[in-house]
Amino acid sequence: MKKLLALTCLLVLLIPIWAEGENKASCIVCHNSMAGTIELNGKVIELNVDAKRYEASVHGAFPCTECHERFSENPHVKPSGEVLEEVKVVSEKVAIKAKADPVAVAACYKCHPQVYDLVLNSVHGKNITEKGSADGALCLDCHGSPHYITTAKDESSPVNQWHVVETCGNCHENKELAKKYGIEAKVMESYRESFHGKKHILGHKRAPTCVSCHGYHAIKSKDDPVSPVFGTNKIKTCGGCHKGANKKFVAAITHQDAGPIPHYAEKGLIILTIFTIAFTVLHVILEAYADIRDTFFRRRKEEEHAESEEYTC
Amino acid sequence: MQNQKNTLANEQEIERFDVIFRIQHVIMFTTFLLLAFTGWGLKYAEIDVSSWWIRIWGGPKTAGIIHRIAGVTMICDFVFHIVYVGYQLLTGKMKIRKETTILPLPKDVKDVIHNFMYFIGIAKTKPKFGRFSYAQKFDYWAVFWGMFVIGLSGLCLAFPIQASYFIPEWTTGWIWQLLAIMHSDEALLAVVFILFWHFYNEHLKPEVFPMSWVWLTGKISLKELKHKHPLEYELLMKEKGE
Repeated sequence: MKKLLALTCLLVLLIPIWAEGENKASCIVCHNSMAGTIELNGKVIELNVDAKRYEASVHGAFPCTECHERFSENPHVKPSGEVLEEVKVVSEKVAIKAKADPVAVAACYKCHPQVYDLVLNSVHGKNITEKGSADGALCLDCHGSPHYITTAKDESSPVNQWHVVETCGNCHENKELAKKYGIEAKVMESYRESFHGKKHILGHKRAPTCVSCHGYHAIKSKDDPVSPVFGTNKIKTCGGCHKGANKKFVAAITHQDAGPIPHYAEKGLIILTIFTIAFTVLHVILEAYADIRDTFFRRRKEEEHAESEEYTC
Repeated sequence: MQNQKNTLANEQEIERFDVIFRIQHVIMFTTFLLLAFTGWGLKYAEIDVSSWWIRIWGGPKTAGIIHRIAGVTMICDFVFHIVYVGYQLLTGKMKIRKETTILPLPKDVKDVIHNFMYFIGIAKTKPKFGRFSYAQKFDYWAVFWGMFVIGLSGLCLAFPIQASYFIPEWTTGWIWQLLAIMHSDEALLAVVFILFWHFYNEHLKPEVFPMSWVWLTGKISLKELKHKHPLEYELLMKEKGE
């Protein structure tokens, strides 16, 4: 029995050697069973990589070193591998944000150069590359963990139609960031209260989300003249769904406060509602009381005896 | 003998609403219910149960189509009512008299006070109502208010491109928000009002429970007329006597 157990243990220990042919296996065999986090250059890193989820992701066929270029399969060698020139350029641009492994963050560029360029030139990317801030969103801020990226059509993707609003809200609903960048304070709230937002919440497949109007990879500030929601650009943007959209029509959707008129109109209507309800409820309760009282104590008598029908006032 | 004759007369029925008014009412409450059911899910979209509720109505897209069709039907019903009443007034089939009119009169205010006094036991008798009591007038004119506020805003929201041609430019900063608030808040008022006022007066009240059948038959017995609308009854008797 003991011999059998020892043999099994040995076989298990041999798995990494046996699997070395597939080079991601050597990393994942440990990372799959690791737990917890470490801090690297001020960035908290999750140690665990779920092998099953990784393999199910769109990048699941890639070896780890495809993106973690500086690393080798041997965990005892310091990360010092060759890095592609174009990836190196991008990694330097995003280094302020990607503190742990800028090369891995820049590695998306290898296969997605056009999209990456759009992102770097977007309001999100420029905040990093031009303003040197660590706040702007890059690939992973929206698409989620690099190891589990799925297509946008997949329900589990954070950029899926049914999750993207929440994903944008991660930053845009953050009070500190909103204050720092002058983001409309009620941007998410106003969406959820709008007809667009309500229909989306109820599961309307064609109801627009944030990206439908604002764009995504190339997203620009609303104050940027090339933004699809800047000034008269809105006419074209809204016109994508609403044929015949015009200047007066596109004013309907904004995240800004509509000012005092709707505010006080709402207050007025609420007061009217309260008074009407108070009157009707009071009336109904008193009438019900009187009806019950009459049924048991008065009306019967009246109707039996008062045949003359002359209602005396 | 005299007594028996009296009973017979009491059982006799007169027409209170003709068939065209009855159809108008059926269309009105059918569309009202459809609008309330489909609109409720949108108004409270953020509540989990709303998604389930809207799915029952065929999903958000279908529910939206039902809501629009019901809304337009209700507005047509309302417009038809105005035209029909106008026609009846012009041809003399309907006359404005203080005992039978639905127009609010100073007497209605007096009746409200009188009725409250009766409820709490200060007045010994009920106020004498005409063809329409103040409660019924309130019910009737509430529809006008609702059509003006909810109907008008609903039309603008259902056909925003068309509405934008009529909307003055200087109002665009707030008018859309205002329309949405008008539609949503007044709808809440309408639903609650119907739930309390109309349901108590025409359904739950002990004397009419489970409902007043006049909406279906259009008829009211003389006994009931005498009891509920004494002024109209007296007028009728006076006219018959002449």
